[in-house]
Amino acid sequence: MKLTALRLHNVRRFAGRGVAVEGIGDGVNVLCAVNEFGKSTCFDALHALFFQPHSGTPGAVQGLRPYSGGNPLVEADILTGQGAFRLTKQFYGGRRAMVRELGSGRLVAQADEAERFIANLVQGGTTGPAGLLWVRQGITGIERRAKSDEEGEKRARESVLTSVQGEVESLTGGRRMAQAVADCEEELSRLVTATGRPKAGGPYAQAIEERDRLVETERRLSAEVRELREALDKRRSLRARLAELENPEQQATRLREVTQAEAALTAARAHGEALKTAEVEVALARNRLDAARQALDSHCRNWARFAVLRDLDTDGRRKRDEAQARQRAASEAGQVAATAVDTAEREEREARDLLSRLEKSLRARDAAEHLAGLLQSHAKAEAGRAEVEAIQAELKAIALPANAVKQLEAIETELVGLRAVVAARVPLLRVDYRAGVTGAVGLDGVALGDGEERSLTRSAGLEIEGVGRLTLTLPHGRDGHDELAQAEARCRALLATLGVGSLVEARQRESAIRDLTGRLGLAQQRLALLAPDGLAALRETIARLEAQSAGSVEVKGDPEAVRGALAMAEARVTASRNAQREAQSARDAAGALVVSTERALASVASELSGLAAMLGAEEGRQALDMQLAAALAEADAVFSAAQAQVETLRAGATDLAGAEAKFRRMRSVVDAAAAEIATMREEAAGLNALIGARSNDAIEEAWQEASDKLAAAQKRLAGLEREVALLTRLRDALEAARAEARDHYFAPVMGELRPLLGLLFEDATVTFDEETLLPRTVSRNGLEEPVGVLSGGMREQLAVLTRLAFARLLAKDGQPTPVILDDALVYSDDDRIERMFDALHRQASNQQIIVFSCRQRAFAQLGGNILRLVPWVPEG
Amino acid sequence: MFRFIHSSDLHIGKRFGSMPEELRGRLRDARHTVLDRLAVQARAGEAGTILLAGDCFDTETPSPAMLRQALAAMAGHAPLRWIMLPGNHDSLLADELWAAARAALPANVLLATEPEPIELEPGIMLLPAPCTTRRPGRDLTDWMDRAATPEGALRIGLAHGAIQSFSEDGVGLDIIAPDRAARSGLDYLALGDWHGQMRVNARSWYSGAPEPDRFKHDEPGRALLVSLAGPGAAPEVVPVETGSFDWRTLPLDLLSGDDAAAVLAERLPSGSLRRQSLLRVVATGRLRPQARAGLDAAVAAVTPEFAHLVLETEGLATDCESEDLDAIDRAGALRHAADRLLAESLDESRAAGERQAARDALVRLFSYCEGMPS
Repeated sequence: MKLTALRLHNVRRFAGRGVAVEGIGDGVNVLCAVNEFGKSTCFDALHALFFQPHSGTPGAVQGLRPYSGGNPLVEADILTGQGAFRLTKQFYGGRRAMVRELGSGRLVAQADEAERFIANLVQGGTTGPAGLLWVRQGITGIERRAKSDEEGEKRARESVLTSVQGEVESLTGGRRMAQAVADCEEELSRLVTATGRPKAGGPYAQAIEERDRLVETERRLSAEVRELREALDKRRSLRARLAELENPEQQATRLREVTQAEAALTAARAHGEALKTAEVEVALARNRLDAARQALDSHCRNWARFAVLRDLDTDGRRKRDEAQARQRAASEAGQVAATAVDTAEREEREARDLLSRLEKSLRARDAAEHLAGLLQSHAKAEAGRAEVEAIQAELKAIALPANAVKQLEAIETELVGLRAVVAARVPLLRVDYRAGVTGAVGLDGVALGDGEERSLTRSAGLEIEGVGRLTLTLPHGRDGHDELAQAEARCRALLATLGVGSLVEARQRESAIRDLTGRLGLAQQRLALLAPDGLAALRETIARLEAQSAGSVEVKGDPEAVRGALAMAEARVTASRNAQREAQSARDAAGALVVSTERALASVASELSGLAAMLGAEEGRQALDMQLAAALAEADAVFSAAQAQVETLRAGATDLAGAEAKFRRMRSVVDAAAAEIATMREEAAGLNALIGARSNDAIEEAWQEASDKLAAAQKRLAGLEREVALLTRLRDALEAARAEARDHYFAPVMGELRPLLGLLFEDATVTFDEETLLPRTVSRNGLEEPVGVLSGGMREQLAVLTRLAFARLLAKDGQPTPVILDDALVYSDDDRIERMFDALHRQASNQQIIVFSCRQRAFAQLGGNILRLVPWVPEG
Repeated sequence: MFRFIHSSDLHIGKRFGSMPEELRGRLRDARHTVLDRLAVQARAGEAGTILLAGDCFDTETPSPAMLRQALAAMAGHAPLRWIMLPGNHDSLLADELWAAARAALPANVLLATEPEPIELEPGIMLLPAPCTTRRPGRDLTDWMDRAATPEGALRIGLAHGAIQSFSEDGVGLDIIAPDRAARSGLDYLALGDWHGQMRVNARSWYSGAPEPDRFKHDEPGRALLVSLAGPGAAPEVVPVETGSFDWRTLPLDLLSGDDAAAVLAERLPSGSLRRQSLLRVVATGRLRPQARAGLDAAVAAVTPEFAHLVLETEGLATDCESEDLDAIDRAGALRHAADRLLAESLDESRAAGERQAARDALVRLFSYCEGMPS
């Protein structure tokens, strides 16, 4: 089918007027105009003509009506294999549909017949596949479209595929397949989730849970059963043991054994006591025996000692007597020696006395002699001393200090000098009396001699007799008076100090002093010769000598002889004293000997007397010996008897420790048995409780039941697992088969589409949706994307290309069909549009394509048959 | 003439944990009421004594209520006399059980817990061989050879255990001499342990369980009515029915062309018995997928009528041919999937699990497609 013309009247914006698109040719036809020009109106009108029954007023039809109302009229000329026809439809008022043969104007069909005619054209019907393919903006999903439109178009595509590939159903299994898949899915979905895991709450998951729960239960119960059986076994052995323990015969045996052991123990203990007593007695007897033996021994020893002591006593006495004798001798010797000493000493004293007297008298004589000399010397010394003293007193009286003379001489010299000066400078007064006047003039009260020159002092009163008094006042200074006065004052002072009247006198005194000093030295030398140690010592010596000499008796004798006698006497004294000392030491030794012998004798005597007292009288001694010997024999006998007793007891002794151990063991056996019985009863009570509880629960039945249930659950689970495997396998098989079939079904259209796609997209493949028969996904570079997420441009390009592919399929089948594009490329860029047009032109060789577009500039260069809207008035 | 009922292996208290919840109570209850049914048979057979040859209780520790109820039931059937022997499940190790039983023992119940002759009546001596432990490890009936009984008295042995190298618990170490009756001069040896009824020789019998508890023996619950005319006389042994539930295995050996559902329907027990039936359908052989699906559906359809019904198909192979696959789809993706699953199920190089999954998947796909309008 091809469209050749389209006319419309009273449609939408063309209220009350008509427009026509005439001369639609083969290949690409482009109606390019600005918006609001009426392109979409044309498209919608054309669509309504083919798809809307003239009798109805659905939305699409309402949309055609102008606001002002009226009856839309649409007319199209078509060219089919059967010829050229004019299709006319009017909606609303005067609604009609009719088909005329274009050439003859013959009415081919009208009303419902006409509708059927049109439907056959677009939907294939019995004659063939659909006759129109539409693409408009809405096809990209951007604009909502009526479902019927979609359905119609889908039907058109389906018919295309069916015509080339056969029925979809026969290929994909159709409803049966869908049903089988749905059944399978439903069964599977009860068991598992989409990812193949057991579905929560589903029978599979429940079976797993049940199995797990039962495994747990079975395990628990089996443990409890085991516990029960162990408890039973244990209780059984406990009971056996208890029965054994509580056996009266055995208990009696045990008690008997204890009693026996106790008796044996008591006997052993008694025996032990007896032995101990006997041993004590033996010890006692041994002590007594020892005592008796000791008594006898000491007695014998005493005797022996007594004999010895007696000898010692005799000996001691003898020694003592000897010592006493010696002491006496020594004493006598001592007396002699003492007498000798006294004699010697007296003689010595006498000799000494004589000598002393003799010497005394000698000394007195000497002293007297010496005294006379000394007295002489003393008198001289006294005189000498008096002389010295006199000289000294004289000296003292005239003594001058040292340098006094020299000072005096110096001052005198100075005075001379000064006098000379004064003399040289002093105004002199001299009166030369006229003869005869004497003394008429006095100066300061002194009459002036004639010719006498007098020096004037500072003020001089001159009394001139008869004249009166003349006062002269001289000026002070430079006349040397002052210095002279001072020096004279000093000289006077010094003289006064020296007590001399003048230098001469001083010189006289000085030489007097020198003389005196010489005399004094001589006197002193003399005195020193007479009394070298001074007068006092001399006087003392004199006094001593006077004493010595005074009262002395004249003794006759030769001092040397006397001295020799004295030495002899002294020697005798010494010898006698030595002899006396020797005698003394002999006496001492004798005394000590006496003491020691006495002491030894005393100790011997005391011991002897002690022993004698102990030993008693001589006559009883024998009896005592015998008595002691008898006591010893008796003690020995007693000891032997006790010893024998102990031996006997020891020989017959039982093992006390053993008896005790046995008794203890027996006792512990009885006690242990009692304790064990108690413990076992307790344990048995515990076991009874456990067993009772478990038995009451019928635990074994429960366990077997659980085991059975577990087996059943496992079986059921295995069945379900098999079911899941089965269903999974089936679903996979069905899906795989269906996918394959689908691919096969869409193979032809893919074959057409692939080269077209190649024009726009490199290496792109498309999968089709079975329902809509339109592309579902696009794969590029290995990435598969649903069409819905593609860009608008790509989507519309894909839509256009898909229609072209279908159109090519139809064309190949000998049924060329127009493809109508209404602003189908709004999102595409110019470059793409150009390439699209290449595709369109390539198609257009035997394909009618009608393009409505507002993109004038973009489409201006694309070539094709340019269509225009022209005014049109419907016939009649 | 001395008559008695010989039974064993009551396993009172067994809980049947592997059975569905709602069935467990009934099965358990049936083990109790079997005492009544034994008593009924005793009275019917004019027997005054019921010998229970071990395993009266399932475990060593039945709940006190369980024990007391059993004893009460026995007491209720006085003057019938009950003799209980400890078996391997309720051996003498079960102190608690036997102590409790002794404590509440009714006058008409006797516990044969000692290996000593018991004079049931003048001239009738019972020689019990109670199990001492779970696995005694020796022939407990050994003592019977030497057991002295009065001259001219009947000697009746009572024992529990395996007599050949088989046993109900699968361990056959404690074997009772098969000729014990002859050796010990027993007029009759009443045996327990084997849950199926079995004649060992003219004088030795296993009574079997009076109320079955497993599919193994495939026979109704029975006991034995034994009549002894006198010492040395051959015993007259008559099986009597005591079971309440019927445990049966139904083998279905199928051929590829069989209509399994029809075969099953033919062989199922009649409707009135189904409530008391536990049925195990063991399908073997080969089936086409539709028939297989049909079998599943048929089993599913009747299952609610039975106390318990299980279908075991481990031995059943599924044959698939192209027409079978046509039932899924003649062409197209669905058929393609079916082809692939079939190929996979037959691919020997694959793991058994995978093949199994593929086979199961194919059968499931059949069942889906069957339910769809073609």
